[in-house]
Amino acid sequence: MNILSLIVFLPIISAIFLFFIRKNVALVKIVYILVTLAVLYLCVILYIDFDPNDSMQFIVMHQWIVEYGINYHLGVDGVSLGIVMMNAIIMPLIAIGLYKRRDNSGYWINLLFVQGGVMGAVLSLDLMLFYLFWELMLLPIFFMLGLFGYARSNYIAMKFNLYTIFGSLLMLIAILYIAVIHKEEFGFYSFDLNNLKNIKLSSLESILAFSGFMLAFGIKIPIFPFHTWLSDTYRSAPTGIVIVMSALMAKLGVYSIWRFLFTLFNETSHMLAPYFIGIGLFGLIYFGISAMNQSHLKRMFAFSSASHLSLIVVGFFIYDIYGLIGSSYLIVAHALSSAALFLMVGIMFERTGTYSINELGGIALVAPRFALFFAFFALSIVGIPSTAGFVAELLIIVGAFKYNIYVGFISAITILIAMLFMFKMISKVLYGQLSPHTKEFTDLRLHELLALIPLALLILAMGIFPNYFIKKIKPTASFCSVEGQCYVK
Amino acid sequence: MKEEMTLNLLLLCPLISASFIFLLNIVFKNIRQSIYSFLALAGSGTSAILALYVSYESYFNHKIFNSLLFTWLDIGDFNINIALKADALGAFMVLFVAPVSFLIHVYAVAYMDGDKSYGRFFAYFNLFIFFMFMLVLGSNPIIMFLGWEGVGLTSYALISFYFHDIQNTYAGNKAFILNRIGDFGFLSALMILFVEVGSYGFSFTDIFLHINNINPSTLDLIAILLFVGAMGKSAQIPLYVWLPDAMAGPTPVSALIHAATMVTAGVYMVARFAPIYNMSLDVSLFISYIGAISALFAAVIASRQYDIKKILAYSTMSQLGFMFMALGIHAYTSALFHMFTHAFFKALLFMSAGAIIVAFSHKQDIRELRGLRYSAPVIFIMMLTATITISAIPPFSAFISKDSIMSFLFASGHYDIFILAFIASLFTAYYMFRMIFVMFFSNYFLEAKKSSWFMLYPMIILSLFSIFAGLLNLPELFTGNLNISTWLNLEDKPLEISHTVEIILMLINTIAILAVIFYTYKKYAYTDKILDESEVNIIANKFYIDEIYDYVFVKSLKHFAVYIDTKISYKLIDRSINILALSYAKAGRLFSYIENGNIRFYALYMLVGLMFGFVYLYVLLRLSL
Amino acid sequence: MIKSYMILSIILFSIGTVGLISRRNIIVIYMSIELLLNAVNLSLIAISSDLGDSSAQVMSLIIIAIAASEAALFMSLFVVLFRNRASLDANLFDILGSSK
Repeated sequence: MNILSLIVFLPIISAIFLFFIRKNVALVKIVYILVTLAVLYLCVILYIDFDPNDSMQFIVMHQWIVEYGINYHLGVDGVSLGIVMMNAIIMPLIAIGLYKRRDNSGYWINLLFVQGGVMGAVLSLDLMLFYLFWELMLLPIFFMLGLFGYARSNYIAMKFNLYTIFGSLLMLIAILYIAVIHKEEFGFYSFDLNNLKNIKLSSLESILAFSGFMLAFGIKIPIFPFHTWLSDTYRSAPTGIVIVMSALMAKLGVYSIWRFLFTLFNETSHMLAPYFIGIGLFGLIYFGISAMNQSHLKRMFAFSSASHLSLIVVGFFIYDIYGLIGSSYLIVAHALSSAALFLMVGIMFERTGTYSINELGGIALVAPRFALFFAFFALSIVGIPSTAGFVAELLIIVGAFKYNIYVGFISAITILIAMLFMFKMISKVLYGQLSPHTKEFTDLRLHELLALIPLALLILAMGIFPNYFIKKIKPTASFCSVEGQCYVK
Repeated sequence: MKEEMTLNLLLLCPLISASFIFLLNIVFKNIRQSIYSFLALAGSGTSAILALYVSYESYFNHKIFNSLLFTWLDIGDFNINIALKADALGAFMVLFVAPVSFLIHVYAVAYMDGDKSYGRFFAYFNLFIFFMFMLVLGSNPIIMFLGWEGVGLTSYALISFYFHDIQNTYAGNKAFILNRIGDFGFLSALMILFVEVGSYGFSFTDIFLHINNINPSTLDLIAILLFVGAMGKSAQIPLYVWLPDAMAGPTPVSALIHAATMVTAGVYMVARFAPIYNMSLDVSLFISYIGAISALFAAVIASRQYDIKKILAYSTMSQLGFMFMALGIHAYTSALFHMFTHAFFKALLFMSAGAIIVAFSHKQDIRELRGLRYSAPVIFIMMLTATITISAIPPFSAFISKDSIMSFLFASGHYDIFILAFIASLFTAYYMFRMIFVMFFSNYFLEAKKSSWFMLYPMIILSLFSIFAGLLNLPELFTGNLNISTWLNLEDKPLEISHTVEIILMLINTIAILAVIFYTYKKYAYTDKILDESEVNIIANKFYIDEIYDYVFVKSLKHFAVYIDTKISYKLIDRSINILALSYAKAGRLFSYIENGNIRFYALYMLVGLMFGFVYLYVLLRLSL
Repeated sequence: MIKSYMILSIILFSIGTVGLISRRNIIVIYMSIELLLNAVNLSLIAISSDLGDSSAQVMSLIIIAIAASEAALFMSLFVVLFRNRASLDANLFDILGSSK
């Protein structure tokens, strides 16, 4: 069996089996950790075997629904490898970090479904298959929001669901539309990226289809102005889901732009790129400034994520090797930092019972280790040197300056924008005098350290020795930027 | 091979000791202070010895040290190696950075004694040296930028060191944010530079080889953006406001980071990019003016400050202004040499201030610190030495360095800058001696704690340096041979005035400064005049710059944030989307009136539907016929 | 000839429709439904004899048979409805609609 299929289906099948032993929560947790560790192991093997001189690899291709040309077609390239790796790394750490916390089997089972869905969506090269996994990833999150969320969880779950389903239905229409066009042009249905990239569309048709996809991805990322689900959802969502949403799903939205839009509508993407660069830059600043006004930690980080994601969008649409590599690097870097940060916020909530910045304070006095890690991860989001985010932002800024000097200036603002709220937040949360909420704050426990240390080390390693990681992305990116072929083979 | 090792060790020793201290501090709860001190001193001491060796080799044998550690990034043209290079300029920088760092480490061992975050302090402190070396030894601008950001970060951590008072951490935030505004300029400049000449390689040598390919207006833009970076780091108008607040950190931090080393990074950077500034004369002149205004402005503010560390902070800013004046008229060596002497005497001043703060139970207000001469005689001598030096009285070192700057300014023909500099130097003498006379020359007597010798030894060494360092670059006038200038061999503008003019300038300067000192003596020594000074006038309030910044930038940004978050995001976008969803629900309710459950109505609908069907069929048939 | 049959059928169908929609008594509604059925039957038979194809006549016989069984079903329903509500007013039986 192909390693990619294993990676995709191991979590899904185990989740189905776990359904039958859901009564025994402890067992469910252990199985969850074992399964995610197994996936991690597989991914490490994948990473080691990945040939850094080639783009698309480990292709698995079976015919599935023959009359409509739907195939089971998976493959991994440099960019998706990064997302697969970080997905595999983050998922077990959630359980390790929150080991004592969640005693609902549903929580863990749903997370396994999400992991499988994300893996599938990242790896699939067939639009129908992609759509299937895309939805598979959404539904567990809907349930988890409703079941385990805080404050008005039903309303928020519904809002989130309507928002995203709205987007993905438009995407489905676009998918069916281009499949039909393919049938008209070549005489048979196909949903395979390989075939679909050959179709010829008039510019209006292609803009329509493009916007169908873009709406789905744009809502998921979110880019301005589709961001209003974001802050509520992040505030209400349980820690595991926030991590999944900020670290994986949002990144998946950007990744899909790259994988599908750039492949299918190469010319249209080029043509519309200036607009999306504009939206991205606007969002970068807009979300950054919005975050200044938040006193709820999770909402603040939600906007901070959105700000960085806008930068990633800019990096992709610059269509240049620096922008592409920078963005795909920032996807991973930001995922690691924000996952760690949200995990720590979850840990903090468990001890203080509050997410409000104004009610916290003085944590560094009683919990130096917690403060150290928290400050480190917050600073790694700001992009200080020797963290992964710095490298990525630097590359995107290089690309932006190559594209246009003004775009360059505005994207360089990213090194300022996150600081405006992050430092105030660090001061208020970690420093100053103890508040009633933080009086009995215990320092990080062993299992929490176990979850955070790998993330911290990885962020440092990616910041200090970026070349070892980037060389796996390079061929993919250079195919895409030099030859205009974001998907080869 | 050996020289690579030397350079690598020079860079990595502080990092290694920092990481050890860090690990010990985080893993174990109770570690003896002596272990930390040993590690910290070992790291910085090794670096200092290696640095002396490097500059020795560079000075006498003109050896250039190179070292390639690893490839950091290699994408397209963007090929960045972590490579170190100690050319004359780099060697000159480490020559004073490393020993001063080591001495301040020794001092800090005593100063921080008993602090419960002892380990954390030295971890940051050593980390700072590491980043500082990276800044000055980097062989390409990206590494320089990494170090540049790194020193900013450690500076932030150290300013916020006493974090139980949240105001200190706000000072740290302010410092880091303003520095980052500077970094924004620096980074943008580097990026434009890369876009223009990056395809030829991006090390300093490659850049300067191809600098003629850039068109002049772009070059001006690059030069000015680079200077924005220098403004942030070196606390020049308008990005200076962080420096006085940065005094919230422990005094060794102020001595090392905010006086001797980090703040001078801007000067180093401009000197490093000298080929660019030699080509864009307008920007250079602009730098001179900014430097002149900053020098005077800071000196004026310092003359009405009472906090001993704040006075010194403004004095640092003022001295940096002098250096930038010199840089702007392309007297690079003079600027660097003044930076060199400044490192010694300013570190000495801060260390004396720290010694006073420790000895007199953490008082910092000079109005409360009067009559220290007999209770702390050693400190008095140290501080007096440093004050005489900074006032540029012959034959102390700063006389030589500052005089060289003044001569160059005069020779450049920009007499407005020269006059600003002249007034600023008079003010320097005024505020420094005001501090001295108030603290040491009075009828009071204040009981002191005994200072540790660990604190005093480094001070004594530094005071020797600050007296004699001037000998290294003695001008021809005093039968010197400008050793440093020959060594550095920068693209200086030659000095074009005769010895007579030079001597006259010197005499005027010295006499004016002595007159000011005499005036200050009359005004402040053995009187209570200092208590009569009003605290509400515009100078004492630092020209309200902090308040203006707060109002113009911080407050307005906050209001803007509230506006877009509540008005645009919530009211405009979220509302309209919710209205979309609600109108859908409303439409549903409307249709539910039709669905009233009464069978007969359904039959009616069927009929209507049927009718439409028939009409449609009819039309279709008619059309097809 | 067929035309007049068709006209009669349409008239019958229209009467049935109007009755179905406007009357409130369920028995009258039922009678209207029967009228509709028989209008269709009539047109079927007329067309069948016009085309000379007897299959439609077979169909209409089946419809008559089904209508008869329907009648039995309906009658029993009426009885049940009347027992529940003591009325056969169609407006009372609207639980299909939204709850008010």
